[in-house]
Amino acid sequence: MNVVSILTIILIAVSTVCLVLGLVGFFSTKNKTHNKKGKKKHRLFLALTLFALWLLVGTLISSVYKGKAGLHIEFSLFSDRITLFGMSFAKTTVVMWGIIALVFVMSLIFRIFIFPKFDKTEPKGLQNGIELSVEFMENFAKNSLGDYSDSLAPYMYTLGVFMIFAAISELFGFRPPTSDIVVTFAMGLITFVLINVCGIKKKGVKGRIKSMTTPTPVILPMKILSDVAVPVSLACRLFGNMLGGMIVMDLLKSVLGGYGSGIPAVAGLYFNVFHPLIQAYIFIILSMTFINEAIE
Amino acid sequence: MNAIGAGLAMLTALGAGFGMCLATSKAVEAVARQPEASGKINSILLLGCALAESTAIYAFVIALVLAAK
Repeated sequence: MNVVSILTIILIAVSTVCLVLGLVGFFSTKNKTHNKKGKKKHRLFLALTLFALWLLVGTLISSVYKGKAGLHIEFSLFSDRITLFGMSFAKTTVVMWGIIALVFVMSLIFRIFIFPKFDKTEPKGLQNGIELSVEFMENFAKNSLGDYSDSLAPYMYTLGVFMIFAAISELFGFRPPTSDIVVTFAMGLITFVLINVCGIKKKGVKGRIKSMTTPTPVILPMKILSDVAVPVSLACRLFGNMLGGMIVMDLLKSVLGGYGSGIPAVAGLYFNVFHPLIQAYIFIILSMTFINEAIE
Repeated sequence: MNAIGAGLAMLTALGAGFGMCLATSKAVEAVARQPEASGKINSILLLGCALAESTAIYAFVIALVLAAK
């Protein structure tokens, strides 16, 4: 017997004893939670149970799992490729199709089965949430886009929904589509087209060129450069943030090795849910600001 | 050599952190002076922070390109 297996047996024994102790204490203090001290004891035993469970599961997994824990990760800027129907696709593209299909089916189900049941006089529960988010988006667009808010608010809402779903797909083990620079650059290009289309629609081609050359025609190259930089900066910002979050999560998982049960899920709440929400908000608010600049 | 370059590129985070610290401190002052305008200040602060952060993100992308070799 070598040192490692002795250590494993000791760890399993300790965690089993702790688990039994914690469970016994948890159930025996269940009825004594009327005062503050009893409640504290109850919670302490719950924490001990959870810790022992985590240690037991981690030790069992890492004794079976032969992979080495440590600071070694492999990542690539571009996604792995997969062959479907004789054609080569990036895996993120396939995940993106899945997200699009999911959102499409969900919106159809909502439109056909759930929306007609909504109460028009007394909203509650799910209806409140949906109405709140749609209203927030509409007010948001009205404040910064003015005339074009009716046509652009739904697009921005769709963009936000797509980005949030893309970020959550990482929790299911896929590489998120927004961590591929191709996807984010496409989204940036759509914003670039929208800026120019809205600007030309509002002022005409002459007005757009005139707004480029005010106050003097000398700054025309600089204006063009700053316009071209918009999609690049939008794409790089989203891509960098998403890839950074993914690398941090990969690092956490590789460091924990066999003990990586439970803890990455808690960290994922920040890196896969909260942070992408802020990034989606920033992408939308920046797109609106640039469009507003063009139509002003 | 690539790793050293990637590490040096991330020195940009110094500037981004300083910019975000300035923006946040001013926003805190503004909210302390006018608590009723906190909603508007919040959205402007987020916009400013995103723009200040973008330099650090560019540096991060460059570091990734260098390190992914």
